[in-house]
Amino acid sequence: MTNISNSDVILLAHAAFGVTGCLAALWVFVETLSARPANAGRIQTAAVITTLMMTAGWICGGYWYVHFYPAEKALILGGPWPFAHNFFMETKEHLFFVAAVLAFLLPITTRESLHSNSAARTLVLSVSGLIVVTGLSVEAAGAIIDHGVKVALLQDALKGAHSWIPGSPQRLRN
Amino acid sequence: MDSGITSASPKLKAATSGFVLAAALTVVCNTALACVKDTSAPLKNFMKSLTDHDWTTHGLVDLFLFVGLGFLFTKSRMTEQMNPSRLIGVLVFAVAGGVLGLALWYAIV
Repeated sequence: MTNISNSDVILLAHAAFGVTGCLAALWVFVETLSARPANAGRIQTAAVITTLMMTAGWICGGYWYVHFYPAEKALILGGPWPFAHNFFMETKEHLFFVAAVLAFLLPITTRESLHSNSAARTLVLSVSGLIVVTGLSVEAAGAIIDHGVKVALLQDALKGAHSWIPGSPQRLRN
Repeated sequence: MDSGITSASPKLKAATSGFVLAAALTVVCNTALACVKDTSAPLKNFMKSLTDHDWTTHGLVDLFLFVGLGFLFTKSRMTEQMNPSRLIGVLVFAVAGGVLGLALWYAIV
């Protein structure tokens, strides 16, 4: 039986939007390497897609983080990988803002005449490159956080107890 | 194959240079705010009281800072005189410093 909750859809959507945003930024980077009047429109389109994807990722990720993450946080902190929250989630949730600000900056920078302005080309390459690096770092941190939940659940399954989860039947009995 | 790339005087538009500097400052402020709110419970509670979650408020502060400073720098044209290479260097340095600062902070705390 398939049971996909809203939480699952939002969680997967935020990661998908983030990866798509990174790919769009990579598209900007590659097109800018051979900037010419003919591909100026494509560069601007890819830059706007980057912004839209990052914004969608922010909205989905933010909603999930505020409404659904506290339960997973409790699992992670009670499991064998507490650093998945203490280091990776704490860093990720603020590192995302860096990628988002750069994604908002990208369409502004691509309005320059990239084929004739070497400084503008360097700027667009720098901004798009930084989006790819910071965005993929955020994605990687997300994978580690997800694994932090997995190892906590596995540990819990092996123990057959949920005593460390606030409000769990085992905890209430004790 | 001719890529069509030519070199002209490397200048940036006022809006571009203004928003680049705004982004650099926003990234630095983002890291600073992350560290300060972790050490100041009253600030974190205040941020929480505004939008029900300090992270949401943090994101909105970053957004308003970027847009506000961007328009301010564009209107004042104060970044037009800045060397574009230096401006790009400031942005890259700010992002690298901001990211490293966040990682170090949460590795220590």
